[in-house]
Amino acid sequence: MRSLLAILGNTLRQLLGGRRLLLLGLMGLLPAAVLAVLLADERTAIGARQAFHEAPLAILFYIVLPVACLVFGAGALGDERRDGTLSFILLRPLPRSLLAGAKLLGAWLATLAVIAPGAIAMSLVMAVRFSDWTTLGPLLAAVALSGLAYSAAFLVLGYLTQRAVLIGLVYVFVWESGMTAAVASLATVSLMRIGLSAYAGLLPAAHPHLIEWLGAVQPGAGGATAKALVIAALVVAATTALLRHRDVT
Amino acid sequence: MTAASPAQADRPTIEVEQVSKWFGQKVAVSDLTCSFGPGVTGLLGPNGAGKTTLLRMVVGLLSPSDGTISVLGHNPRRSPAVYRSLAMVPEEDAVYGFQTARQFVGYAAALAGAGREAVERAIAVVGLQDSAGRPIAGFSKGMRQRAKVAAALVGDAPVLVLDEPLNGTDPVQRAHLIATFRQLGAEGRTVVVSSHVLAEVERMADRVLAVVDGKLAAAGDVAAIRRAMTDIPYRVRLEADDPPRLAAALIGSDMVESVTLRGRLLTVETADLSGLGRSLAPLARSLNIRFSLFEPEDLSLESVFRYLVRGR
Repeated sequence: MRSLLAILGNTLRQLLGGRRLLLLGLMGLLPAAVLAVLLADERTAIGARQAFHEAPLAILFYIVLPVACLVFGAGALGDERRDGTLSFILLRPLPRSLLAGAKLLGAWLATLAVIAPGAIAMSLVMAVRFSDWTTLGPLLAAVALSGLAYSAAFLVLGYLTQRAVLIGLVYVFVWESGMTAAVASLATVSLMRIGLSAYAGLLPAAHPHLIEWLGAVQPGAGGATAKALVIAALVVAATTALLRHRDVT
Repeated sequence: MTAASPAQADRPTIEVEQVSKWFGQKVAVSDLTCSFGPGVTGLLGPNGAGKTTLLRMVVGLLSPSDGTISVLGHNPRRSPAVYRSLAMVPEEDAVYGFQTARQFVGYAAALAGAGREAVERAIAVVGLQDSAGRPIAGFSKGMRQRAKVAAALVGDAPVLVLDEPLNGTDPVQRAHLIATFRQLGAEGRTVVVSSHVLAEVERMADRVLAVVDGKLAAAGDVAAIRRAMTDIPYRVRLEADDPPRLAAALIGSDMVESVTLRGRLLTVETADLSGLGRSLAPLARSLNIRFSLFEPEDLSLESVFRYLVRGR
C-alpha cells in the first residue's frame, strides 16, 4: 500500500506540475464558459437544456476530456521513459501489475483533477440559472468513465511510442470525432460514447441530441461502467506484460 | 576454494553465462562469461565497449539475446523480488528534478520498503546532508550522482551495480565515493563499478574485468591488468620516398615487432619507441631514403584495450 501511494503521489506531482496544470485547468473550464455565454443570451436561455447538450457537452467530450487524458495518460509512463526515470521505478521489488495500475490510477486522477471542476461548473451554471441539479451526478460519472477508458488507452500508447501525442490526436479527431460518428456500427467501440451512454442512462430523460450522438450505443450506466473497467483491466494486463518483457534501453 | 578462471569470482553472486546481446545488426555483447562476488569489481572498458549493456542485462533492464544471467540464483527479468537484494545506479540521470534529494531517496525507500532512518543514513553516507532539502533540478552532475548512489543504498541491498558512478564528480566527491564503495565492498557486499578510467578503477577495485567490443578482454587483479598493458607495443606511422625498401630494412631490426605497408605509409609496431627513433635516421641515411613523416600514435585507452583483445 505504501508503494502504491508513493507511486501515485509522485505520478500526480509529475503530471500536474508546471504549466500543464494551468493550461489544462483553463481548458477544462472552457465548456462551462461557453455555456455561460450561451445562456447569457435570453433567446438561447429559452432552450437551455438544448444549449447545454450541444456546444458545451460536445466541447467537453470531443475535445477537452480526450486531450487531457492524452496528455496525462501518455505522460504517466512515457515521461518516465523519456526522462530516464523508468529504470528507477522498475528496479524496485514491486509487482509490475502494481506499477501499471498505479500509473493508470495516477493518469486518471490527474485527468479528473483538471476536468471535474469544469464539469461541476457546467452543472452549476444550470443550477444557478434554472435550479436544475440533475446534470451534476451524471456528468461527473460520464467524465469519470470516459476518462478512465481514454487514460487507459493512452497509457499503453505513451509507453509504446514517443509519438503518442500525435497518434493520440489523430485517434481523437479522426476516429472518435469522425469515423465513429460517420459509421453507425463503429459507435460501439467509441471511448467517448462510454461516458455519454452512462450520462444518458443516468439523466431523468435523455435529450434527443444525446441519443443521436450515441448512435448504436444504448444508454445505460451499468454497461458503460463494465466497459470502462474491462478496458482498464486489459490495459493494466498489457502494460504489465510490456513492463516485464520489453527492454529498457 | 579458488575460482578456476580469472573471469570467475570465488563466491559468485552474479553469474553471466555465454551472454550475447545484439540490437538489430549491432552486437553489443558477444558470448561473455564471467561472475562477480563479494568485494569491489571494476568493469573497465572504453566508451561503447558494452559495459552498460552488460550491467543493464545483469539488473534485468535488458534481456540477453542469448545466454543466461542470474543474481543470487534468480533471473532478475522474471522476479522483481530480487530487487530487495539488488540495486543499481544507472548511468543516465534517473532523477526527478522536482523532488528534493531527501524526497528522492525517500521515494526509493518507500518503494524498497525501507524506513525513514534508512533515508537519513543513505544521505549521510554520500555526504549530502547539507543539500538534502534542495530540489535536485538545481544540483550539479556530481551531486545528482551522489543522490542516485544514496537512492541505491537506501534498501541495504547486498549486491550493488554502479554504472559510471564517478562521472561528473569533482575530485573531493570522487575520493568520498571511492572510499564509500571500498567500505561497501569490505562489508561483504558485491559491488560492480563500471568505468572507462583505469586509474579510477585501480583506486577502488581489487579485481578488474576489461571489456572491449562486447568481449571480455582481460580479467584478474589490477596488477595483472597493469602488467598486460606495459607489454603493449607503440605504433608509429612513417612516410618515406621508398617505403618497400624501408619496410624490408625495418623488418630485420630487433626492436621492430611488425611492419604494415599501405601505399607510401608504413605502420611500425615497437616496444622501444625511443630506440626506434634513434636508429631510424642512420638507417635511412645508409639506404638513401628520405622521410616525410614520423608520427607515434596516441596510446589511448581504447588502443590499449584493443591490444588486450587481440592478445587473447
